[in-house]
Amino acid sequence: MAGQIIIKQSGNRKIVVADSAAAMDESTKGDVFVDGSHCGVNVGEMTIHSGVGAMIGNDAGMGKNDAGIAALKMCDEHGIPAAAVAAMSAKVGSGMSTYEQGQISAVNEAAKKLGVSVGMSAKEAADKLLEALAQS
Amino acid sequence: MTHEVHKVVRESGGLRIVIADSATSVTEDNKNDIVVNGSHCGANIAPDYILPSGARGAIGNDAGIGLENAGIASLKTLEEHGIPAAAVAAMSAEIGVGQSTYNEGVISTVNEVAKKMGVTVGMTAKEAADKILEGILNAT
Repeated sequence: MAGQIIIKQSGNRKIVVADSAAAMDESTKGDVFVDGSHCGVNVGEMTIHSGVGAMIGNDAGMGKNDAGIAALKMCDEHGIPAAAVAAMSAKVGSGMSTYEQGQISAVNEAAKKLGVSVGMSAKEAADKLLEALAQS
Repeated sequence: MTHEVHKVVRESGGLRIVIADSATSVTEDNKNDIVVNGSHCGANIAPDYILPSGARGAIGNDAGIGLENAGIASLKTLEEHGIPAAAVAAMSAEIGVGQSTYNEGVISTVNEVAKKMGVTVGMTAKEAADKILEGILNAT
């Protein structure tokens, strides 16, 4: 789909960047998908249904009931590592900003086990996820 | 692109107010609609979804506004195309949930087109959507 940028590949896994989580599709199954979307419940559904290997989005300021990171827990329930970058570190709606400027503000348990931590750059987090997925 | 069914909450004079979780689900079927949605109002939303659909107005989530006001970047783009648009505060409504934007959202940011129709900061999203619908009807 238009709007996906492949950053790097390791084995049969890729880091793919897109402005919107709605760009997840068949071609990104198993990949580390870095996007500019918030991590709300509907993005959680998109992530789970798309079959991506891991997801990094924007925390959208967390917001009411932590709605901006609701997808992280949902992904955990499906064993999908996921993390969010702080809205003040990267421009929501821009996948490249998430990837290049993003600082991780929230991490789910699955991503934590792979070495992703709060304060890490999104780039480093994506690399850790790619390495782990490529070895699995 | 997601395929969600939009809930219609008001119809008047050929226009509708509809609710969508994601702005990515907005299509040409929404060309007579004010779309109240759960998406952020980042730079991609206007050119990728709202403008191609021909929607008449939009209310989304400000996503905490964030780096370089990215969370509300589309409001200006829509303004340049004469489309009334506003955002609700991320602390007032759950991002990603259109019904929360509509039921609980409190307006934090308004573009000039919506302002002329009487939409103001602090207003509920519901009232703002009504003002936009009426504003368009009064202008035609």
